[in-house]
Amino acid sequence: MNLFRRTLLTLFSLVGLFALVFFLSRVTGDPSYLFLPVDASAEARAAFSRAQGFDQPVSIQFFSYLKSILNGDFGTSLRQQRPAMDIALEAFPVTLRLIAVSLSIAFAGALLFGCLAAIRPRGIADRLISLVSLAGASAPDFWVAIMLVLVFSVKLDLLPTSGLGGPAYWVLPVFVLVLRPFGLLGQVVRGAMIQTLSAPFIKTARAKGVAEQRVVFVHALRNAMLPVVTVAGDLTASLLNGAVIVETVFGWPGIGGVMINAILQRDFAVIQATILVTAVAILALNIVIDLAYGWLDPRLRTA
Amino acid sequence: MSQTDPAPLARPDRAAPFRLGRMLLRDPAPLLATCVLLVIVFSAIFGAELVGETATKPNFALRNAAPQFEHGFAYLLGADNLGRSVMGRLVLGARTTIAIAAGAVVLSLSIGGALGLVAGSRPGLLSDVIMRLTDIIMAFPSLLIALIVLYLLGPGIGNLVLVLAVTRIPVYLRTVRAEVMEIRRRPFVAAARSMGAGQGWIMRKHLVPLVLPTLFTIAAVDFAAVIIAESGLSFLGLGVQPPDFTWGSMVASGRGYISSAWWLAALPGVMILATTLSLAVLANWVRLATDPAQSWRFFRASKGSST
Amino acid sequence: MRTVFGPGILAGILLATSAIVASAQSITVVLPEEPPSLEPCESKHSSVGRVIIRNVTQSLTVIEPTSGALEPLLATSWEQLDELTWRFKLREGVTFSDGADFDAAAVATAIERLQREDIVCNTKQQTLGGVELTATPVDALTLDITTSEPVPILPTMMSVVQVSAPSMPIEGASRQPVGTGPYTLTSWKAGESISLALRGDYWGDKPEVSDATFVWRSESAVRAAMVEKGEADIALVIAGVDADDPQMDFAYPNGETTRMRISTKVPPLDDVRVRRAMNLALDLEAMKPIIGSEAQLASQLVGPAVNGFDADLKPFGYDPEEAAALVKAAQADGMPVDQTITIIGREGIYPGSTEILEAMQALWSEIGLTTEIRTFDTGNWLRYQNRPFPEPDMPNVHTDQHDNLLGDATFTLFNKYHSDGVNSTLHDAEVDALIEKGEPATGAARTEAFQAAFARIHDDLVADVFMYHMVGYTRVSPRVIWKPSVSTNSELDLSQVRMAD
Repeated sequence: MNLFRRTLLTLFSLVGLFALVFFLSRVTGDPSYLFLPVDASAEARAAFSRAQGFDQPVSIQFFSYLKSILNGDFGTSLRQQRPAMDIALEAFPVTLRLIAVSLSIAFAGALLFGCLAAIRPRGIADRLISLVSLAGASAPDFWVAIMLVLVFSVKLDLLPTSGLGGPAYWVLPVFVLVLRPFGLLGQVVRGAMIQTLSAPFIKTARAKGVAEQRVVFVHALRNAMLPVVTVAGDLTASLLNGAVIVETVFGWPGIGGVMINAILQRDFAVIQATILVTAVAILALNIVIDLAYGWLDPRLRTA
Repeated sequence: MSQTDPAPLARPDRAAPFRLGRMLLRDPAPLLATCVLLVIVFSAIFGAELVGETATKPNFALRNAAPQFEHGFAYLLGADNLGRSVMGRLVLGARTTIAIAAGAVVLSLSIGGALGLVAGSRPGLLSDVIMRLTDIIMAFPSLLIALIVLYLLGPGIGNLVLVLAVTRIPVYLRTVRAEVMEIRRRPFVAAARSMGAGQGWIMRKHLVPLVLPTLFTIAAVDFAAVIIAESGLSFLGLGVQPPDFTWGSMVASGRGYISSAWWLAALPGVMILATTLSLAVLANWVRLATDPAQSWRFFRASKGSST
Repeated sequence: MRTVFGPGILAGILLATSAIVASAQSITVVLPEEPPSLEPCESKHSSVGRVIIRNVTQSLTVIEPTSGALEPLLATSWEQLDELTWRFKLREGVTFSDGADFDAAAVATAIERLQREDIVCNTKQQTLGGVELTATPVDALTLDITTSEPVPILPTMMSVVQVSAPSMPIEGASRQPVGTGPYTLTSWKAGESISLALRGDYWGDKPEVSDATFVWRSESAVRAAMVEKGEADIALVIAGVDADDPQMDFAYPNGETTRMRISTKVPPLDDVRVRRAMNLALDLEAMKPIIGSEAQLASQLVGPAVNGFDADLKPFGYDPEEAAALVKAAQADGMPVDQTITIIGREGIYPGSTEILEAMQALWSEIGLTTEIRTFDTGNWLRYQNRPFPEPDMPNVHTDQHDNLLGDATFTLFNKYHSDGVNSTLHDAEVDALIEKGEPATGAARTEAFQAAFARIHDDLVADVFMYHMVGYTRVSPRVIWKPSVSTNSELDLSQVRMAD
């Protein structure tokens, strides 16, 4: 794996993505409808488009935008009238913190319970773990989120309903965010482990008298990690694009909510800035995952 | 599935389906899962004939009625925010739900799987292009994809399925690719190839058992995710519009009533959950039951349960 | 206030902080969304207005919410000098929160700022329309405002012009408003909260609330839960279904009126019998709980507080047999009543909007009309709201909700019903004439012309599917005493909030 080449190729993805977003987002309608009052005249809308440069051909807009990016200017939010990149960079750390905590918990939990389930497939532990994890993974997140608020904050008065703050404020949002990754990863770990535990090299290890715990959690797990890492990467990417439901229900000002609002309001500069930020993170993540493949399987590294 | 038999020369086992059937009858969990799926498929096919007007005609007097016996069998599971039978709508909604979810999952699984196979087995320009396009899809917000499709291709259930499928392609693609790349480098594969085994044979023999469990697990969970995602996009006017509906849109329209009438969102949620669980349980079972390295578990388990 | 700590720790904290008595007068308000800016000229955007109007910035005149009467605020009196010129006498002894004096020059600067071309300004676009204002100070506390065309209700229009301080930058939407109101902005944590604090040098009566924090949650159930749990004191706007506690929840007419606009030029909807049938087919009384049981049936697009409202108009009532007969009659005359009519919706335009459309679809199918629902996001919906219409030949009924903030029917009739109105699908010479007759008139002549227009639209033309005068719901903690009013949709006057003890 040539890291330099891989990074270079990723830059192509980034530029391609950016151009696609720029051109295609402009297909989704004229922002003047959203930014002017409902009774604005056609002339007022034309004047607005002129003032914002939307009357120019899109390719001209694109190149002038590229030029301003080189000067460090990522455009101004139409809605908020401030630099779009500021808005994106304010929101991103909130999302990042939230998913870092949630995914660490989900990942650790999935490894532990996935392995436990795989030791005796179809045993009691397996059935219980599979039921709980699949139920969590397929429950509608907004339903779970609001239910948790109604039960744990209002009825039982144990936790704050929403907002940013100390550890108590993290419990509900993290719980909701953990559900799907935990459920999916747990099942993937389980499936891969069942496969691996019956592989010849495990039998060899057992025959050599290696302790069963070591067999499961060291020898087998490392070999079962390939699909786990891939799926974990996909889950991380989708959360990097915004844990929208959790952000909006619990009032966490993350990048997902910002992005969705920008898309619905046709606030193009903010769409571009937020996608740029999340795309850099997602593409970097993909590189890390490709590197992880090499680390997990030494044979891949020689490529 | 008999390809996974250790004896490469074994003929297809004609009795295998019967043997599987007998094993299923002895095993309560997958048996239940099969029954649930059969009921759902039956509803999807005959649902429109099964339920009467109670599922489609507003009855404002019964608005948000709780599950109860008083209003007759049709309202056993309560009535929705327009007073329509929730049970009737669960049956009636099965068809659109299954069509969209199955369509999107099968489409993304097959496209992702095929492209992953190509990207994994032939490093080079084509593989690079596929992987970079995957990067782009992963980083593209699905709401924006949906809006773009709506404006360029127009509304319609087909386009909705397309949007849902496209956003899920990367995970299947990357999973298959990772496994293919790993298998290609195993010493025995190189040996098999040197002995004249075709690429196809190698993939069938080694890739399929390795990658299928993961793919099926993702697909089962995706089934639920797709249904929820679908309801999240309906406000754009992209896909399912009343009078059509899905379990997902039932959950979504019950969203505002979680504090006052929780069953409106919970019951269709349970249906989605039941379908996902059944799919996962059955997929797991079929895989274990057909894998000779695992099938010993059945004899032990069935012995244990019979005593 | 938060109850994450055990009672012992809480008591300790209370003891430790008991010196800060003022905190007893601080309240938290939870809004549905974060304001995009706190720009005074964007104050018609409800999320901006609810924070700044009357709290941070003030206007020359105000409309008393209950009576609809125009009252002085920063201006003490006004008179019309000629057809185009108005003279305002300004209040003495008022200062901006940055220390600057409030005088005629300051108001002139604010009006100039409002009309600048570089950014979109909602107040200018929406209220002042095409009218240009020129403000000329006569002396320190006297200001002449000249309009480019006659505006008989200029003092009313000035009630939406928030007077910003001369020090506010001319460019961009401000996030730091400076005004003459009792509160100043103390902090804005982007995405989290906005805090206002009472000014020491406010010119008027000192309000009871010393500090106000605004937070926002998009989920109605969460907003309601926050007040129930004591995390917030006022939840502005919760859904009717969440307003289940009579001790805390208040319903109030929110000034909005809903309708389905009918494309009156496209067959089969160009037949008045079909339009009347569509009205008669709806059991609006039975459907009311979907949007709020306290709502009133509407037979015109403005409420009783608006000049031009015709109290004599009566809803059509529910009569499916008559409706079906009308459709049959139209069909007998060759009307293509079997053509699919598109119901255009917008998700979340008001709580329950999707269910309302579904109910309409089912009820219209009962009288033999075929419909399809198309839901749009706001951006796409607006394309269908404004002329030129994207699909002019599509028979459709279009979800619409309207709030006449200024209390005069002219702000409704022209745009919604005149042949040249941007949102209008109606082309009726008589309605046009009535609107044109009323606009330059004053007094009873104005009122009567507008009433006649509404009567023609409802009784003769049946131009809309008439729906409801809507209600809103708020949840107010027992800690504070405050009641919502018709102005709650656009502002929250903190000086009206009292502490319970």
